[in-house]
Amino acid sequence: MDIGRFFQYIASGTAYTLGVTLIALPSGLILGMLFAFLAVYAGKIATRFFSIYSTIMRGIPPIVLLFILYFLMSGAINLTPFWAGSVSLGIISSAYQMEIFRGAILSVSADQMMAARAIGLSKIQAIRTVIFPQMIRIAIPGWSNEAAIVIKDSSLVYAIGVPEILRRAQLISASTQQPFLAYTTAAFIYFTLVFITNRLLNRAEQKLTIPSNP
Amino acid sequence: MKKTLVALSVLLIMAGLLAGCGEQAPTSTLDKIKQAGKVVVGTSADYPPYEYVDETGNYTGFDIELMTEIAKRMGVSLEWVDMPFDSLIAAVQEGKIDMSISCFNYSEERDQQVDFSDPYYTSQDAFLVAEGFTGTITDPADIVQYKIGVQSGTVQDDWVTTELIETGLMPESKLSRYERVDQAALDLQAGRIDVLVADSVPAQALIKQFGGFKIVYEVQLYTGPINIVLPEGDKALRDEVNKIIKQLQDEGFIDQLAVKYFSK
Repeated sequence: MDIGRFFQYIASGTAYTLGVTLIALPSGLILGMLFAFLAVYAGKIATRFFSIYSTIMRGIPPIVLLFILYFLMSGAINLTPFWAGSVSLGIISSAYQMEIFRGAILSVSADQMMAARAIGLSKIQAIRTVIFPQMIRIAIPGWSNEAAIVIKDSSLVYAIGVPEILRRAQLISASTQQPFLAYTTAAFIYFTLVFITNRLLNRAEQKLTIPSNP
Repeated sequence: MKKTLVALSVLLIMAGLLAGCGEQAPTSTLDKIKQAGKVVVGTSADYPPYEYVDETGNYTGFDIELMTEIAKRMGVSLEWVDMPFDSLIAAVQEGKIDMSISCFNYSEERDQQVDFSDPYYTSQDAFLVAEGFTGTITDPADIVQYKIGVQSGTVQDDWVTTELIETGLMPESKLSRYERVDQAALDLQAGRIDVLVADSVPAQALIKQFGGFKIVYEVQLYTGPINIVLPEGDKALRDEVNKIIKQLQDEGFIDQLAVKYFSK
């Protein structure tokens, strides 16, 4: 097999890798942030509920949840491999992202909430205009870590037959007996994706820094 | 403590929900295939020469070409789903794919979960070693003194596990299980294992591709026929597939394929 075709075959799996990541990461972001605010501000029961949710979801290996969603739940909901993979990575990521945002919310001092309420803001207004803008700045470094993990975990969907980068590297390595080249190609693509993502998030972090509060 | 109890009960409820979702509607997969006009077939395309990807990234090999002909004779189009070997049986069981062709040997354990077609080809097992290997093997059990490699989930894995490890003839630490046979060949080359137990046809392919290997012993560990894996209890589909396999055997089509893929 000529070398151009070889690279092209593995690289064409990038679409699936990006697809899975672009579903898992944003859905984990929306759920995670929502859960974090609920866990902090919605009372004792919510705090306990989301703490259990986070403990369970962070305790299950992504690939186990993937198999449960794809094989065991197939009688109830029939997901394609791609969606089963994206949804299960999204669910697990939501638990990690919830912890990142919860930590960020708690590191904005509670006095600010009290002060905001004292000048007449409602709880929602206070969260939106005082807590959220500070929380998001604090959360970015931890979140960029999670983004890198989700990109790399997307390789797990190979186990249920999504032809992403890793599975393609396996197939081509089996038919050409060039495992070194195949897996270094895969590693290089993953590295590039993570590198670009982290660079973008670094830039966002710098842009959002409050000048008086470096 | 209370929290742990709550967490545990949540887990139990989840498990209960999951257990209830296994059932499928009892219609024949054959009707589903004919209605859809296509058959969805799973394979693990990393096992040359049975199934692998060619230069253009298309699936090819003995099983692939055979299945293409079977689909043609069923009068439907063919959709391939590539999946790691370990996942294929579960995928047939859960109706994710209509059937699977991936050099499957019959085993009683597998037969409890899925059905098998009549065998379409009979394979042999080979004991592959590096060319410098000086030992002699006259009986399959002779390999207990060496470090052994197998592809996980294959009948060879099953054989070594039940006949050699569970009987106490060798410790499990001397067996390495690989996800794919070419990974095992790399370790054979590197000397991490002494004997690779594999299907004879892929073993010959490995000799050609890697060089520096030889087969010291050939045997049928289990009766070696390979079959198509079908959904459990689906008689209509099994009869149809068996009928076509019989036709292809009578016409010499399968022998031609074997010559094309196994004698290079």
